[in-house]
Parts: sequence; structure tokens; C-alpha cells
Amino acid sequence: MMSKYQHLYVVIEHEDGMPVPVSLEMLGEARRLMDGFNKKYSSDEKVVAVVLGHNVRKLCEELIFYGADAVIYADNPELRYRRNLIDTKVISQIARSREVAAKFSDTSEFVKPRYMFFGADSIGRHLSSTVLAELESGLASDINKLVIEDLEIKHEHKTKGQAMKYEKTLEMYRPDFSGFLWTTILCLDNRNPAIEREYHPQACSIIPGVFAPIEPDTSRRGAIVDYVPEFDERDLKVRILDRKIVKSAVDFDSHKAVVSFGKGIKDSPEQNIKQVAELAKEIEAEVGISLPISKKPFPVSEGINSTYMIPDRVIGTSGRKVAPLLYIAVGISGAMQHIAGMKESGFIVAINPDENSPIKDECDIFIRGRMEDVIPLLLEQLRKQRPTIEVKK
Amino acid sequence: MTSTTTKDLNVAVIVKLEPDFSEGNVSYNADGTLNRAETKSILGPHSAIASNAAFYAKVKYGARVAVGTMGPPIAESALQQSQLLCDADELHLYSDRLFAGADTLATAEVLKAGVSKVEGDGKVDIVFSGHRASDGETGQTGPQTAWKLGYTFLGHVIDYNVDLQSRFVRAKRLISLQGFYDIIEEVEAPLPVFISIDPSYKAFFNTVSQRLAFEKYQKEARSRAENYKQFLKVLNTQQLGIDPKLVGLPGSPTIVYKVERIPKAKASRKSEVIDGANRDQLTRVAANMYEVLGGMVIK
Repeated sequence: MMSKYQHLYVVIEHEDGMPVPVSLEMLGEARRLMDGFNKKYSSDEKVVAVVLGHNVRKLCEELIFYGADAVIYADNPELRYRRNLIDTKVISQIARSREVAAKFSDTSEFVKPRYMFFGADSIGRHLSSTVLAELESGLASDINKLVIEDLEIKHEHKTKGQAMKYEKTLEMYRPDFSGFLWTTILCLDNRNPAIEREYHPQACSIIPGVFAPIEPDTSRRGAIVDYVPEFDERDLKVRILDRKIVKSAVDFDSHKAVVSFGKGIKDSPEQNIKQVAELAKEIEAEVGISLPISKKPFPVSEGINSTYMIPDRVIGTSGRKVAPLLYIAVGISGAMQHIAGMKESGFIVAINPDENSPIKDECDIFIRGRMEDVIPLLLEQLRKQRPTIEVKK
Repeated sequence: MTSTTTKDLNVAVIVKLEPDFSEGNVSYNADGTLNRAETKSILGPHSAIASNAAFYAKVKYGARVAVGTMGPPIAESALQQSQLLCDADELHLYSDRLFAGADTLATAEVLKAGVSKVEGDGKVDIVFSGHRASDGETGQTGPQTAWKLGYTFLGHVIDYNVDLQSRFVRAKRLISLQGFYDIIEEVEAPLPVFISIDPSYKAFFNTVSQRLAFEKYQKEARSRAENYKQFLKVLNTQQLGIDPKLVGLPGSPTIVYKVERIPKAKASRKSEVIDGANRDQLTRVAANMYEVLGGMVIK
């Protein structure tokens, strides 16, 4: 029997045909999940990439190599760059189109996709929100683990306290702001006849850098389905006038080293941040912070505040992922959400008074001590041994 | 001033009362999780930035400003703190037991109804929200409210101006493309719009008349916030005219199925422990560091 809800739709982000990494990462995870799903339920549901753009057919072909069974491609000059309003409408039209789904599957009963993925970034976070508001279904954000299970649920409202079975439910794991808790979010079918809603797709936004793409396989074949979008003239009044590429004020990528600080600065925040900055300067490192610091928990001068305690510097699942040759974690306990952002670094040094901190298991050298005491001594040694390489002109 | 009700521009701000993460006010449990009972509450930092953006509309365009929040009675302190920042003419607290347990979609349903209850001439032209709440951190409620209102959503806005004649807004947005670069995009859209303000937003008042208006409204804001209850309306499901099936638990497609501690990952590295007071050991660490950094060029 065919289902009203089929397939996993992955909304692809790209810059003029170059895929943003999270797009390929989502496809990789989608491939693994649906392979397991089809085996477990003896079905043939698809991983479907959804692409909005202009002249990017080559990207569509690549997405097949990266795990998509089919690609739905809306090609139009109006869709070259992202505009939330028209993008939301086009994606929602695609999600509801039985005709489109019929191009790659048996869709006699098709109403909407079963699952839907977006990237948890500048574009995808908002796009997922508006698409799911339009489709009136559930959305979880910032997910870093996914499981599909048949679950027995007992919930005060959803099941009126009774145990009920929900099949093929997507368990969406989300690390909370502390980095210590994992919350599992479910989007459950509506079984209340008084509410005229169907809670599909089960959707989420996925943290960039968490899942691995699959090895591209150029022998994979799949359908590329053209979708001709229709626009409301009024919606096209929202216009992009200019687009400038800017270098972020914080530049982790072109530095060989990163020095990050966390709540361990608390005893004398202003002074300690200056020390960290001095250490960073000595080894030409960029300065990073842990997530709690971006919430500005300590009073410091305006200069320090606006230079260092800013979201741009956050390293971790809520910020940037870095992999410098050398990473120094100062006064950082090592919550999972931070580790995820720096564990690929070449060599990791932690400075921390507490040997029970999780960071101890994530570094190569653990310097036991208060940063106030350690950094001056370390600076002294670094200065003594400073390489004296002259650049010959 | 000729009239207090007829305005060329009507704006609203959606704010949230959040845990105060500042040292001395925040409390953590032994396992590192937030102790909500012991932690104080405050107008969320991103809500404060959204309030500043609304104040800019007041100073520059003489806009009428309304502030709304959904929450229990205590959430009115967020409204007061916001009023102090934006000199709000009207404060809304959307409060009802039926709202409890709402996910972002059900919250957006309430906020949409709330925005449509704002007084003044015609409807709200611009709604502002913060980047995300510092506790929930989904960043979904703003755009979902925008969609339900039928307003054009503009996210990550770092600067905006309004052309009152053409009724268009021009905004600059900061977009980070993972693995590529950042983009500053300039966009125009007809009113009404919903603007989610980027954390890096700062209002600048350039002209003398703007600075004078700034001081005047700031003074007014202080006296209004002292008497904020005069500006406050508390609205429940019925007064908002919402279908109870669309809010709270019944209106939420998602549930929290379980909360667990994130299992400690297997040690990914075997670390050598160094005594931070031992100069000889630190000498070796410094050498290690330079070795790792390789051919570092000192200018």
C-alpha cells in the first residue's frame, strides 16, 4: 500500500551552483537513514534533493553522485539568489506536488514528503521556519543526531495519556545551550479529528559540519525533474539590490593557531581576556570563545566586549568549526558542543585548573593550573624560544 | 505634536523574558545544566537589540511603537525593560494557561494574533524580533510569526531605512555562507515587513534633530517605564480571538520526547598532564607549540 507521506526531501543550498558543505552532509545522512528505512520496512522511498537556482544543472547531476535518488530542480533567473518569500512558496509548492513526485515514484496517495531537511545556517534556519509554517507541520532546529524508529508514546495531549504506537518516527536530537543535555524532539501525526492538520513532513534543520557526506559515486543514476515555478507579481517586488562579499572580522581559516577562552576567565575577566589576547598575538593566533561567553556573563569594558564577546568568535555547534594546526583552550571545560567545533585541530593544548574537566580527554597536553598563573609563564617561554627566522627581501 | 494616534509608521517588537546568563544571576546545577529555579530572568539580549531597532524607527520616523510578549504574568518585566529602551506607546502581554507547552508554531499563532491587536491607525508596518532566544535558541518563532502574518520576512538585518512615501523598506542583511564567505546583501521590500535583527546591529543617529529626538524620547521612555502598567494590556485566548486548538499543546506538532545527558564521548586523545607552575615542563610545551606551527614567519 502506498502512503500519503513518502520520501525524504533535502533542501539544497548553493552559491551559483557550488554546494554549501552542509547540503552534501545532509544528503549523506539522508542516504544512510533511507537505506536503513527501506531495508527495515521493505519499501522504496527516495532521497530527494530540492534545488532552486539558475543554470545549475551540473550541480543537480552531482547531487545524484552524493546520494540523491532524484533531484527536483526549479530553474529560473528569479531564483538565482535566496529570497525567503518566493523560495518558501516554491518549496512549499514542490512539497505538495503529487505530479512532481510521480516522476520518480508511485504516488497515487502522495500528499506531502514524510521527512524534510534544511541546513541550520543563515539561510536554512529561516527558510525551514517559513516553509513549515506554510505546511503547518513540526520543525526542530540544530539537530546533530537522527534515528528512525517505531515508538510507543504516552503524552498528556497527543495520546490523552494512553500508550499509542507511532511508526517511522524521526527522532531528532538537539544539544541544548549548555552543551550538556540532549533533547529529542518528535513531530507526531495529528490524531485529533477536531484539528484539521496533518503533521507531515517531520522536519528539522541540521548543524553544519556534523554529518559526513558519502563518497561521490559517478556511476549512480537518478531522475532530474524540472519544476516550473509560478510567481506572484507582488512577491517579486522584494528585490536584491546589491550583494557584497565581505571578509569576516574574525578570520579563523587563515591562521595556523587559535586560542579560545571560556568561563575560566571569571576571576578577573578583563585582565584575563587581555592575557589571552597577548598569548594569541605571540603565536599569531586568532581568538575564539566558548558559547557561554557570547552571552556576556561577565562585566568587561566596552572595547573588550565588542571585540571578543561576540557570536562571530564562538567555536562549536552554535558557531564555527575550526581545525588549526594548534588549538589552545584556556579555561574551557569541554562541553560537547564546544568539542565538536575544534576536535579536528592538529595539536590541542588545554589550560585548566580542574583535571576532571572533559577537555582533558580531548587534548594532547593538559596544563594544570589557573590561567592567571600559567599564561605569564608560558608567554615567557614562548618569547625565549621565539624562532628567529628573518624574511629575506 | 498634532496627534498621538495618527502615525506614518507603526512598528511592533516581539520580545522574550529569558534566563539571565550573567555571572551572579545565573545558577548551574552540579551537572552543568541550568538551574532555572535559581536563575534570575531578564529581557533577552537579542530582544533588547530588537527594541533598539524599534527605537530607531521612533527617533527617525516618529513611529508608534508597540511591544508584545507571550508568557506568564512575570513576563511583564520584559515589557517594562523593553519600554525603557524603545519608549513603547503600548505593551501587550499574551498570557493564558492554554498557551503552556507551545512549540514555535503554536507560539507564532499567538504572536500573530497579538500583532493584529495593536492599536493605532491601520496595521503594523514593521515587526521586529531578536535573532534568537538565549534559552530556546531555535530562531524559528520570528520567521514563523512573519509567515502567519503574511509579512515579508527579512532576517539578519544589520541596518534599515524606510521610505515613507513609497512605503518601501531598504535593509542590509549579513549572511554567512558556511565554507565560503560572508555576504552583505542590500534588499528592498514593500511594507509590511518582519525584521529579525542581527546581533551586530547598532543604531546611528547622525543629524542634530535626530539626536534631539533621541534625547526627548529617551527621557519619555524613562518616565513611561516607571509607570509601565498604564500602557499594559493583558490578553488571553478569547480576547485575542484565537482558536484554542491552534495554541499550547494542541497547536504544537512537536513534543519533547526525552531529555538526557549527552554521553561523555570516549576519550579522543590521551593527554599528557603538565604542571602549570613548572618552568621546565612549560619550556617543552612552548617548544612543542613552535614545532607544530612549523615554519612560522616572524615579521
